[in-house]
Amino acid sequence: MVLVAEHAADTNARNRFAEEAIGYLDTLYRGALRLTRDPAQAEDLVQDTYVRALRYQGSYQVGTNMKAWLFAIMRNLFWDRFKGGRPEDISLDGDGDFALYDTLKDPSAMPEAEVLDQIAADEVVKAVEKLPELHREVVLLVDVEGFSYKDAAEVLGVPIGTVMSRLHRARRQLQRSLYDYAEESGIVHAPGDGS
Amino acid sequence: MNCGDCLEQLTPYLDRELTDAELVQVRRHLQDCPPCDDRYQLQVHLKRLVKVCCDRGGAPEHLRSKLKHILF
Repeated sequence: MVLVAEHAADTNARNRFAEEAIGYLDTLYRGALRLTRDPAQAEDLVQDTYVRALRYQGSYQVGTNMKAWLFAIMRNLFWDRFKGGRPEDISLDGDGDFALYDTLKDPSAMPEAEVLDQIAADEVVKAVEKLPELHREVVLLVDVEGFSYKDAAEVLGVPIGTVMSRLHRARRQLQRSLYDYAEESGIVHAPGDGS
Repeated sequence: MNCGDCLEQLTPYLDRELTDAELVQVRRHLQDCPPCDDRYQLQVHLKRLVKVCCDRGGAPEHLRSKLKHILF
């Protein structure tokens, strides 16, 4: 009888864990899609994440941040499986002083925020997906998932200062690629092109 | 606080990661400095846009079923 009761308690605990974990499926899938940029690979990544989470559920402390824990598993799997190992830090050439703001000094030009409003959602997703992975993942965690710097730093295994500097660079890159798109599609004119 | 200090703090300010004292200083500078405030507004807009555009769509149903089978 004791054994049966223990077995039932284990099953309950496992079910509770599974219930909570499956609640993050949509958000994990979206993250996986942004990381892999491929629906089939995103599915594989998410499935492997859950399999690993189940295997290591003993290391999850009930009441802590399960979303962060799952993202950490997924992120490590992504780097191991799809990128052949954990990332080295990257430097960004040509980051320069460019910002959307700096390029729009013409007082008759549209306010920058309005320029952004005219950019289609798909283009924003594309711009995010074009970021180098190390920058993309920090944007996903902080801007899309709303992680604090501390939680993002834990998921990524880096100091908080690194989270902040990657985020800063990532946002500048985003501005740049969205501005390039705005120019190409005629939403804004290149400075000095006279048209 | 000058513009250089403000720009350095803009990322954590945007992400609500500053202490109350730091936050007040940045806010005060932004109120007095339209160019810095323009930069800040652009950042606010960009962050919101990324959130709205990337936070759509969910997992396919077959994946959900498969995972339920694995998990339960």
